[in-house]
Amino acid sequence: MSFLKTSQIKSPWLMHFDCGSCNGCDIETLACLTPVYDVERFGIINVGNPRHADVLVVTGTVNPRNAEILKNIYSQMPDPKLVIAVGACGCSGGVFREAPNVLGGVDKVIPVDVYVPGCPAKPEAIMDAVVTGLGKLKGILEAS
Amino acid sequence: MNLTTFYLAVAGLILAPLLGGLVAGVDRVVTARLQSRMGPPLLQPFYDVGKLWSKIIAPASHWQGLFVRWALVASLASDVLLAAGADVLMCFFVQAASASFVAVGAFCGSSPYSKLGAQRELFQLLAYEPVFLVAILCMAKVSGGFDAYSFMASQQPLLFKLPLLIPGLLFVVLVKLRKSPFDISASHHMHQEVVRGVYTDYAGRDFALLEIAHWADVVVVLWICSFMWATSALSMVITAGLFLFAALVIDNISARLTWRHMLKVVAPACLILATANLLWLYME
Amino acid sequence: MLDAYIGVLVLWPLVAGLACLVLQSPGVRSALVLATGAALAVGALGVASQAPFTANPGFLSSETALHVAEAAAFVFPAYFLLRGLMRKHLLVILFSCAQLALAAFGVTQLPAAPAAQSAVVCDGLSLALLLVVSFAGSFICIFALPYMKHHEEHLHLKVSRQPGFFLVLLAFLGFMNGLALSNDLRMFELFFEATTLCSFLLIGHDNTEEAKTSAFRALWINCLGGVFLHSGILLAQKQFNLVDISALVNPALWTGASMLPIALLALAGCVKAAQMPFQSWLLGAMVAPTPVSALLHSSTMVKAGVFICLRLSPVLQGTVTGKILLLVGAFTFFATSALALGQSNAKKILAYSTIANLGLIIACAGIGTPVAVSAGIVLLVIHAATKGLLFLCVGDMEQTIGSRDLEDLRGMVSKSPVTALAAVAGAMAMILPPLGMLVGKWAALEAAAQSPVAMVLMALGSALGVVCWVRFAGTLLSGKAIKPKASPTSALTSMPILAMLASAVGLGMAAPWLNALLLPEASAASALSGGWGLMPSLFVVAMLGWIIGMKVLGRQSAATLSTPYIGGLPSVEKGTYVGPLGRTWVLSEGNEYATELFGEAKLTKFLGALAGALLLALVGGAII
Repeated sequence: MSFLKTSQIKSPWLMHFDCGSCNGCDIETLACLTPVYDVERFGIINVGNPRHADVLVVTGTVNPRNAEILKNIYSQMPDPKLVIAVGACGCSGGVFREAPNVLGGVDKVIPVDVYVPGCPAKPEAIMDAVVTGLGKLKGILEAS
Repeated sequence: MNLTTFYLAVAGLILAPLLGGLVAGVDRVVTARLQSRMGPPLLQPFYDVGKLWSKIIAPASHWQGLFVRWALVASLASDVLLAAGADVLMCFFVQAASASFVAVGAFCGSSPYSKLGAQRELFQLLAYEPVFLVAILCMAKVSGGFDAYSFMASQQPLLFKLPLLIPGLLFVVLVKLRKSPFDISASHHMHQEVVRGVYTDYAGRDFALLEIAHWADVVVVLWICSFMWATSALSMVITAGLFLFAALVIDNISARLTWRHMLKVVAPACLILATANLLWLYME
Repeated sequence: MLDAYIGVLVLWPLVAGLACLVLQSPGVRSALVLATGAALAVGALGVASQAPFTANPGFLSSETALHVAEAAAFVFPAYFLLRGLMRKHLLVILFSCAQLALAAFGVTQLPAAPAAQSAVVCDGLSLALLLVVSFAGSFICIFALPYMKHHEEHLHLKVSRQPGFFLVLLAFLGFMNGLALSNDLRMFELFFEATTLCSFLLIGHDNTEEAKTSAFRALWINCLGGVFLHSGILLAQKQFNLVDISALVNPALWTGASMLPIALLALAGCVKAAQMPFQSWLLGAMVAPTPVSALLHSSTMVKAGVFICLRLSPVLQGTVTGKILLLVGAFTFFATSALALGQSNAKKILAYSTIANLGLIIACAGIGTPVAVSAGIVLLVIHAATKGLLFLCVGDMEQTIGSRDLEDLRGMVSKSPVTALAAVAGAMAMILPPLGMLVGKWAALEAAAQSPVAMVLMALGSALGVVCWVRFAGTLLSGKAIKPKASPTSALTSMPILAMLASAVGLGMAAPWLNALLLPEASAASALSGGWGLMPSLFVVAMLGWIIGMKVLGRQSAATLSTPYIGGLPSVEKGTYVGPLGRTWVLSEGNEYATELFGEAKLTKFLGALAGALLLALVGGAII
């Protein structure tokens, strides 16, 4: 694989969007940055700007109001991009699935590449999801 | 211009950005170790730039690509000037031109964060430029010439005659590396301030080029700092390394200041120290 | 032939102006102004081809001419006194009386000085001023044609006042040319006072209360300058019985002699160049129509002030007076750059920045070494082109949108692209290497090595200037991008702007060669191998950058833009976002002017007092 393709695998910059989470998954996501888990080992950086992000990590359920924002942020990210739905709510809507103002999981609005189950999801699982997603990206890049 | 100068210039053109990338890598590893983390691989900045280069994204403004390229050309030119032993003051002005292009490009952007970053970038420019200029003037006074070779040819380390420059130079390094407490217009990796400040609207290939320009800038700044102990090549590398390490330590133990505080307290203090040193040189 | 060229340069504008006044018709006026531009260009090039030279044209050296000059020393102050009495303006009355008294003293108490050996001496410095006046001045006069038409339509005047306006405008150019060339101090004073008169008439042209106040402020300050000039001349006459400028600026003459005349002449130059604390007249001149402020600031009036200082520089080199003058210039450079940064009025930014750059030139004169002086002359020429360009652009944009506030000029690039981009280029030419202004600043900084305080002041001023101009350029380029629609612009408007743009950039690039031309032969050889020799290679780099940049611009200007990042909120139109309740909210933006640090109200008095103290030291140092 060329240097440019390798570097796409080795430098996933991650944007974290809290759709409507109870903050449980958010705390676990940010825990990945701490010395205990240290995701920077994989070249992962938590960025705040979709224009710089490669991976979108979404926690929480989607409702009509934040669906717009989620779509907007997703569309502002450069290609190729990955989406990771974190936690039961992000995957399917969780216990809020049937609530009248909830549309459901993240995949109701944007395509999701990796689902991370758990309530809240464990940091190990989130890291594993990013690595899985990168494997998927690697496959795409190799095929192209 | 003789052939040796030409070779040196070419070497500066190619090696300086590479060296700057390595400095960025060292920065990230050392920062991680200071926080008892493992940190990314040493070559991580190169992967980042490679990745950014291969991303496809619509520009935020028609003008940004232009200003990014100009900033890159100016930054590389300032490296080449130093490598070829040209006038350090002119090298500084060329480097300042690069910073101006980045700010103008951010003004052209569409995001409010980008514009806010541009305003703050200007105040940063205002804060560090006089300090850096006076520092260069002090060095020139001691070494008796404005060209880089006479700076590097001094028998005795400039540090002994210019002790009061240290805070000023450290201030410049912190601002140029975008480190706390002066990461006001844009924060370096891992941190966020007004999203990404001046860099918010730059993305994809433009941002990769801007990152290379930043590396080149860092090399210029550290290089000029290393003139403080320029008795041999090794001592210069060690001096630059010490400045870098000091900046990293300060970055890890301090919180961000506001631009007002920087402009009203820190910059004047550094400038007064540097000026005092300059006056002292003239008194002697 | 030479005398004919000089005649064209000095007298033709006056004749053409009078013809404008008599013939009244707009068509004839346009033809006359264009003809004057052409005549001045031919004359200036003709003179340039012969320089350096000395000449004795009859209309500047004959007995009659000298009598006219002597009479003028009474007539001008008398006119000022009359106007002062009519308006009961105490300061004007006071200083014009002082001028009259000095003139009377000169005629009655001092023996008549022998006439100068040659009435005209043209060297690099005079030539620089001549070329600036003839080219930049002519472009501005041409720009004034459509501008004044528009201006008068806007004011709904019944009777056009343009004939008188163009008489003064054109005559002004002639007087400036005379000032650049004359070698006799009495003739010099005649032209000096004539420019004071012209500026008074031009600033007050609109006849509003504000214009009148500004005009009288300019008058009293310049009368004060006239007092300094006249007393300097009389003292020099008393000391050496000489009125020959080229004989006076011989350093050997002044060893052991009192420097007071030189200090007074330099002080007159500082007043004319609106140095702190006399800056207020130049700021007041902003109320005048744009061509006037462009003419006063970029090419003429203020350049007369720095011209005297540069003329005196051989005497100043290495003296206490010279060192203090260096400090005065450097301090003004710093102080007015700070004031410019706190301004949102675009014309005031230009005015303060002009004063700052004049301060830099005066600092160069204070250093007085050939290297510094040639840097000063390079700055003089390139500043005229660049600032003239910026004034024309701001004037044009002001007429387009009806405001001169920088905040209102935001995003002008989408409203009138040509003018706005020319203004951006002008702003960049003020600060970017390898263009002339920056190179001049750099040369001045290295030449000021004798005075650490001046160097620090210059470093501060330089940083302040960079920030000010980057913000200026950025503001014009930012804002909402509406589909650019080409506004109808008169060829007479865009032609001078583009010509000034070409000369600003072209001269900026030619700075090293200009510099080498100006230096004495001994140092000229080393000039292009030293620091200035760096410039050609930087041009190559700049050209490379230009090509790369333009290629990318061509590619990107066709691209569809991404939506802005506004915290993830969607945006339908640029500069707005869809927020709560599904409503579209408009984003507003503004620059931070940091008025708590750089505000006019806060700084002017304090800095003015410091600058005043420095000027007192200039005179005091000469007396001691």
